[in-house]
Order: sequence, then structure tokens, then C-alpha cells
Amino acid sequence: MIKHYIKVAFRNLAQQKVLTGINTFGLSVGIACFSLFLLYAVHEFSYDRFHTNADRIYRIVEWWQGEGREPGGAGGAYTPVAEAMKRDFPDVEYAVRLKGAGCLMKADNKVFHTSITYADTPFFHVFTFPLVYGSTRTALQHPNQVVVTKEKALQLYGTVNAVGRILQIKTDSAFEPYTISGVAENIPANSSVKFDLLCSFERIINHPEVQQSNKDWYMTIGMEAFVQLKPGSRLAYEQNRLDLFRKKYYPEDQRPRKKGRKAIKKEPEIQTSFRLQPIRDIHTNPQIEGGIDPKNIWLLITIAGAVLLIACINFTTLAIGRSAGRAKEIGVRKVMGSRRAQLIGQFLAESLLLSVASAITGLILAYTLLPLFNQLADRKLSFSPSRFPELPWLLMGLIILVALLAGSYPALVLSSFKPIEVLKQKIRVGGANLFTRSLVTLQFVLSIGLIISTIIILQQLSYIRSKNIGFNKENVVMINAEGIDSKKIYPLFKEAIQSHTGIVSVTASEMGLGSGEGQMGWGFTDYLGKVKGVIAYPGDYNFLNTMSMQLVAGRNFDPAIASDSMGAVIVNEAMVQQILGTTNEKSLGKQIKNAKGDAAPKTIIGVSRNFNFEDLTHTVRPQMFYRPAILQPSRIFVRLQAGDPRRQLALLDASWKKLVPDAPFEYHFLDEKFDNFYKNEKRWSAIAGWAGGISIFLACLGLFGLAALAAVNRTKEIGIRKVMGATVTNVVALLSKEFIKLIAIALVIASPLAWYVMHDWLQAYAWRINITWWVFAVTGLFALFVAVTTVSVQAVKAALSNPVKALRTE
Amino acid sequence: MIKIRDLEKIYRTEEVETVALNKISIDVKEGEFVAIMGPSGCGKSTLLNILGLLDDPDNGSFLFNNIEVAHFNERKRAELRKHNIGFVFQSFNLIDELTVFENVELPLIYTGVKSGERKKRVEEVLDKMQIMHRRNHYPQQLSGGQQQRVAVARAVVNNPKLILADEPTGNLDSSNGNEVMTLLTDLNEQGTTIIMVTHSEHDARYSHRIIRMLDGQTVLENIMV
Ligand SMILES: Nc1ncnc2c1ncn2[C@@H]1O[C@H](COP(=O)(O)OP(=O)(O)OP(=O)(O)O)[C@@H](O)[C@H]1O
Ligand SMILES: [Mg+2]
Repeated sequence: MIKHYIKVAFRNLAQQKVLTGINTFGLSVGIACFSLFLLYAVHEFSYDRFHTNADRIYRIVEWWQGEGREPGGAGGAYTPVAEAMKRDFPDVEYAVRLKGAGCLMKADNKVFHTSITYADTPFFHVFTFPLVYGSTRTALQHPNQVVVTKEKALQLYGTVNAVGRILQIKTDSAFEPYTISGVAENIPANSSVKFDLLCSFERIINHPEVQQSNKDWYMTIGMEAFVQLKPGSRLAYEQNRLDLFRKKYYPEDQRPRKKGRKAIKKEPEIQTSFRLQPIRDIHTNPQIEGGIDPKNIWLLITIAGAVLLIACINFTTLAIGRSAGRAKEIGVRKVMGSRRAQLIGQFLAESLLLSVASAITGLILAYTLLPLFNQLADRKLSFSPSRFPELPWLLMGLIILVALLAGSYPALVLSSFKPIEVLKQKIRVGGANLFTRSLVTLQFVLSIGLIISTIIILQQLSYIRSKNIGFNKENVVMINAEGIDSKKIYPLFKEAIQSHTGIVSVTASEMGLGSGEGQMGWGFTDYLGKVKGVIAYPGDYNFLNTMSMQLVAGRNFDPAIASDSMGAVIVNEAMVQQILGTTNEKSLGKQIKNAKGDAAPKTIIGVSRNFNFEDLTHTVRPQMFYRPAILQPSRIFVRLQAGDPRRQLALLDASWKKLVPDAPFEYHFLDEKFDNFYKNEKRWSAIAGWAGGISIFLACLGLFGLAALAAVNRTKEIGIRKVMGATVTNVVALLSKEFIKLIAIALVIASPLAWYVMHDWLQAYAWRINITWWVFAVTGLFALFVAVTTVSVQAVKAALSNPVKALRTE
Repeated sequence: MIKIRDLEKIYRTEEVETVALNKISIDVKEGEFVAIMGPSGCGKSTLLNILGLLDDPDNGSFLFNNIEVAHFNERKRAELRKHNIGFVFQSFNLIDELTVFENVELPLIYTGVKSGERKKRVEEVLDKMQIMHRRNHYPQQLSGGQQQRVAVARAVVNNPKLILADEPTGNLDSSNGNEVMTLLTDLNEQGTTIIMVTHSEHDARYSHRIIRMLDGQTVLENIMV
């Protein structure tokens, strides 16, 4: 029986090569698209589970709630907390602090910028990072040992086995030797904990800053801390124990604030607590800083699902259409006594055969397209069954689901034909019945919706990129001055280059600007008595001039005025409004003190116009500039004359090499740094754009097939009409009319949906475009144009055929 | 009205070459009623399709109203066809999705007649064919005789000068067949030229002249008295 099914299935498929081809190809593309997106999603949700003890590893986070703000937390831990937890809770098996820093490394006289991570010795007991060479027991035993990744070993020595070699690392002022004690496998892409070079925390424990932070429970040096609990411990869920711990070490938390002031508004006090965040939660918990919103992953899966659905709809409509011509065969089979189940079996065999073929092609396609997709999604994904053991199952399930989804409807419908009706050939399927129409409409709703969304995303993106952010970010080179003695070198470097033609101005700051540069904040008490963060920029005197930032009141810093490097600040308009609650003019000369009161008061000498130093999802936050008494810049900014920068860059490079021969000249263009804020959006619009394009392509493929079917099913009618005098145009119009109607309906349904979703999406931006009607009009016209073209190809073919032949087939 | 000389039509398929019409020559005068007879496969339908400008000959001359049309392209043939020729087929060839009224209306739409005028003329001809009461029915809901009357109505609605009928009674029983033949005779008496292919000697007797064909050629002409 089964052999019979397969034989007949093969024969049927071979008979209609074009339709079979369209069917398989469309579904392959859909499956390829979906499996790539699926891989992406699986990757995002698989973060950190490769650790053997993943379910017992927790990150210590500080959690805030109250004061009317969204509850949230951050993973930055205070230095002594991890050790205190290990001491106080018998549940804690290991505690590991991780502190990352930028550094220079030197091997064979080559120097690279890289990062070094200091970790407590149980690191390898907690995290599962296998070593290719060396032993995890001893690798971090001595403070002068360092573990490198395979990748770094290759970069440094061109070979993986680097154990025993001496590596020069410079974090402060001079290169120091470290012995390579282990080479680790490259860090999996789905790991939250990453390192290039790994060294014992002992190495920095005597550093004055660390020493101080180990005593001051409020001081942070930007580190994270993890604990591994003993099996069976429920400490992470026993918040009362953690609260007692917090109370013990942070008694000040409970002290009521703002004693002397009248309470202006009664707002709940902010409550701070420690929590233990499961390591698997780190990547996808948006409440804690650095976590991504899983909503986006689901959105992606939804888009992929839409594309797959379109492909399945194609498959269904074409399968119905293909079987339309076989209504007679079904009738005969039924008259011959074939049972319904047998007919269903026959049709399922056919669609199963096709969908398995499509799935295999689709997976091959996905595999070949993976590098491209990785570029698009900015990921390093691979179809690795060892990393994603669920992948084979998911894909297998996908194939079965698609076969059932795409094959069941035609099987059920066709097998239920009443034999007499079929023999009378009364039934017209494919393109005509309500079900197929709805499916085709749904396809176009999805495609049109995706296209509209893509256009709006692109519009918003170009809007925020072109928006004047309040200073001139063009033609500025930002040089990395980390790891060098910059307080000495910066003035020399400036001296060496500033008089050259093509160099407009040189300045420096202890903070960078743009994406991925980090920020430094101070707490200030605002005029209502609440503590608010202010972003601080310790920079050179001419920082504002060089960046073309404007002053709206007061004056700029002046090297001739001694007090300007001792407590003079320039604040932005946002700070005047939100913290001081006064006007620009009145704020001049005011003295401000930070909330903790541990720093000398500052005097406001100027007010700068607001500029956007963050991405445009934010409005401008309070900000202040000051000139430190001793400037130790981490970034040097050079404004170049507009035009080809190559000559100036060569000059900068040469001057740099002369002054700092042992650190590489590493720079970024500031405008690129700002563009990077929108990497996510760019990625998203690229993904949405591709998905939209693919879905339109698939929908057209389906239309093409449907039009072909319509033409075949209506061969006789077209013949008769031609005998009656119909022209080619008449016939094309006849065949296109129905499809045009469906697309018009799709446009009407898709537009408000897309508007709603995009309107919602735009709310995330402080600066956003208005959605204009022409986006919908253009998309509609485009969809119509593509559809009419597709249908016309078939219609013209049908219209040109000899009517005599059409009537002979009777 | 029709004058063909040495007309040839050859069908070529991959394996065989069929000479469907072999240098055939025929004249039909305006107002005539001609029957074409002959064994199956002798080329009757092929000839009728060429006379009806549905198909083009490979060789020879075809004068339609003194115009040489043998070399006409599809567009010109269609133009000439829709104003001058009506067709009746053995299998009726009505469009299943259209009502009786809409089927008959079709030729008028394609010749660009205004909708008010169309309604008038369709109703007139449906009345004449006595199927007015079925105007909103679909072809499947009619008997074979009724369907063929609709097809005749459709063929004449444009007032063509020539009607071509390919075995118009082939799918009908004798009483329905006679009804259709009477219709055609009436039309002929009102001046329409009719060329009809038939296998029935009985039906052929309605005509003025019988052309007998064999292997793509005329072999005999009987003039009826
Ligand atoms: N499209 C075609 N391709 C190939 N051969 C054809 C084609 N149309 C007709 N023929 C051949 O041409 C010859 C004449 O066919 P035609 O249909 O004119 O015969 P007929 O006299 O109408 O027959 P019948 O009485 O059975 O209708 C036949 O041998 C037929 O097989
Ligand atoms: Mg014939």
C-alpha cells in the first residue's frame, strides 16, 4: 500500500514539474529562513548553560525598588561582599570576584590592546572553561600566572601550546612578565562570562584602590561577583536571609534621609537589597543592567514564523490547486471503493515527500547562508548539535509540523469530495474558494505589514542619525590613551601635532564619548530632595570648544584662572532644570555639593547647551564638565579638517609611535562611535528588511503558481472568451482582477496593524518620526505592481495560446 | 463571400506529420447554407476553424469578403472575427460560471456595445430562442437542448453575417436536434450564411449544398433541391 502511495505520489509530482518546483523551492526558502532565526533564538536562550554547575551558579546583584521607579538591578558588586557571603552563609560553596581591565600585552615585540580579567582562584571550580593545555587546578595558583584563550595564543605566538611562555602585560606604567599557565578553549559565543587573559585576583589585591574598596563597603571598582551554592541550597529564594545579610553590613540603608528638609512630596523610600541571580538568567533578564529583552527574540521568532507560514500557505494553495486537476482521479478511486483514510494517506504521502525534500534543501540553504546571516545578526552562530542538543529535534519537529500544516488541508478537502460531483466536474479549486482566498490574503497581509514596518524602522533610523545632536561629531579622531602614562604624554603629543596643517584642535578627557565608552556618574541631591545621577566629564580646558559644544550662559574654562582646575564646573541645561530647579543665569556662581558630601563643593561657571551624548532613546540627562587638577586622559580627541583624513592619520600615527613606542596607535572616528549606538536598530531593520523581502518573494512565488493554476483551470473559459472576441488585455485583466482585489483587502488589513505595532515601537525613542500615509500608499502600490507583474506573466501566456487548442482539450 | 484556393494545413508533432487539409478549394456565397460531411479525422473541424479565423492556414489563399486573410495575424483575425462570425459547437462551450444572460452578452462586451443596448439585444435574442425564462440560470442547470439554444443565441446576438457550426446536434437527441436545425434554418432564411459540419445525413438535408471531404480534400458536392 505504502509503496503504491509513494509510486503514485512520485508520478504526480513529476507530471507537474513547474508547480512542484515552485512548491519545493518556496518551502525550502521558508524553512531556511525559519531555521536560521530559530538558531538565533536557541542561541540567545542557551546562554551560560554549558557550565556543568549552571543551576548552582548565581551572580550577586544589587536590587532597587521604590521611589516610584521601575524595580531593577545591576551586577556590579562591592569588593568585600562576595567574601562576606562565603563567610556568613554555609550554603555558599565558592565565591568568585571578576574584575576586568584594559591592558597592553607584548610578545615577540608585538604590542596589542586587549583586556585582562582578574578572578579568585575557585574560578575553574565554578565555571566550565576547559583548558587545552595546563591544569585548571594550578593555573591560577600564583599571581604571576596567566591563562590565555586559544585565540589569543594563536594571535600572540601563532601556536596553541603556549604554556610556559612569558607574556609581558602592562596595566599601569610598565610591562611586567607573566607566565602562561594554561590555554583555554575559546569562550563560547553564548557565555556571559568572557575573558581574553585570565589572572588571579591576588595580583591586584594590594592595589591601593582595591585595598580601599575592600574597606569601604560603598565603593565600587566595577567588578562582578558570583557564588556557587551547595547542592540543594535555596538561598537564592530565601530573600529574608539575604536581607538580614544586607542589614548587617549596610546599617545606613535604614537611616532616614533628608532630615533637615521638609518633605515636599511623600514618596516611598528607595529600598536596596542583594539578590542572587541565576547565571542562566543574566543574558535575558532586562530588569538587570546588561540583560536583553527576550521580547525581541520572540518578535524575531514571530517574524520567522510569519515567513514560514507564508511558505506553508503557498504549499497548501498550490497543493490544492495541483489536485484540482485530479478531482476526477479521486472520484474514480472513490467509486472503485477507496476509503477516505486511504485517500488521506495518498495525499499525505505526497505532501510528506515534498516537505521532506523541501526541508533537506532548506537546511542545506540555511547552512550555506549561515555566514551571511551571522553578519546580518552580528552573531557567531553555528549549527552545532553538541552546543545545541535540541536542534536536531526542533528541526525534525519543524519538518513534521510543516508537512502536516501544508499537507493536511488538501488531503482532508480532496478526500471528502462527493464522487458524483467530482465526476460531473462541478468543483473548482485553487484560487477560487474562500479558503484559498483567505490564505492568499493572509500572505499579503504579512508581507505588506513587514514591508511597512521595515520602511518605518529605516526612516526612524535615518532620522536619528541625521538629527543634530548638539555638537559636531564629524572629523574627530578619538585615540585610546589607556595603558600609557597619559598625563605626561598627552601634552607632548598635543605639542607635536597641533601646529600641523589639517589639525584643527586637540583635546582630551578621562572619559570617552559614544557607544561602548562607559560613563561616570556622581549623585547629587535635586531641589526636591531626591538623589539623581549626573554624568561627569573630567576633560581638558578646550574640551567644549573642540567638540563645538555651545555655552548658553557664563564662560568657558580658562587655563589662566587657577581656580578653574579646582572645583569649577560647567553644567548643562538639563542639570540646571532638573537638579537646581532654577534658570541658567541664576545658577551661575552657585555652589553644589555631591549627595554623599565627601567631595569638595563645586562652583558653576557656565551652562552648556544640551547635547545628546547617549543614544536617542534617552532625553538628555544632567551632565557636568570639569578640569581636574591633574588630567590623566584615557582618550585624546583630535579634530581634523574635513576631507580625506589619510595624511593627518599618518601624522598622528608617526607622532604617537615616536612618543609611545610600546603602545599601539588605536583610534576611532567619533561619528562611527555614535553610529554604533544604533547597531541594534540597524541589525533589526536589516533583519526585518530581509524577512520582508523574502516574504514578498515567497508570496509572489505563491501568486505565480496560483496564477498558473488559475490559467490552467480556466483554459477552456479563456478559449471560449477568445472565440467570442476577447483580446490579450481582456484576458490579463480577467485573471489579474481577482488577485488585485485580494491585495487591496490585504492592504486594508495590514495598514492599521503595521501602524499600531510601529507606533508602539517608536514610543521607545525620545526623538521620533511621525508615521506618514505615503508609506502605506507606496507599499500598497509596490505590492500591487509586483503581484500584477507576476500574474501577468501567466495571464499573457494563457491569453496568447491558441483558443482552438483550449477547446480541443474538452 | 468565402473563396479558398489550394488551402493547406499540416500538423507537425515530434513523430508524425498530419496533413489535415490538402490543397482544398471551396466557394461559399452570401446567404448560402452549406453542410460539410466526411469521416472522422478528414479535416472538417480544421477547415471550419480556418474559415472562422480561429486558426491560420499554412499555404493557399483565403478571401473573406474579397479580402485576403490567409496571412492575417491574431489581432487582425480577432477583429474581423468578432464583428462577422458566430460559432456553435458540439459541446456548447458555455462558461459555467456565467449565467445564461451573461454568456449571451459576452460577444457584445468584446465588441464594445454599451450596457443598455446590450441588455436590449440579449433579451431580444433570448426571447427569439424561447429561453428568456432561464436567463438567470447557470449552464449546468439546463438540459442539453436548452444549452445549445443558448449557444445559438450567443452566436447570433452580434448579428454576424456568417455562422459556423461544428456538429451542433452531435450531443443532442433527435427532437432537440431538430429544434436547433429549425433555428439555423430560420436564421439562414433571414439572410445569415451558415456553414455546418455534421455526421448526420438527416441534418445535412436542411442545407442547400453538401460538401463531402476525405483526407483533407473535397471529393463531392451535392446540390440539394
Ligand atoms: N492540434 C493538432 N495537432 C496534431 N494533429 C491534429 C491537430 N488537430 C487535428 N489534428 C489532426 O488533423 C486531422 C484532422 O482533424 P480534424 O479535427 O479536422 O478532423 P474532423 O474531421 O473534425 O474529425 P471528427 O469528425 O472526428 O471531428 C486528424 O488526423 C487529427 O488527428
Ligand atoms: Mg471535428
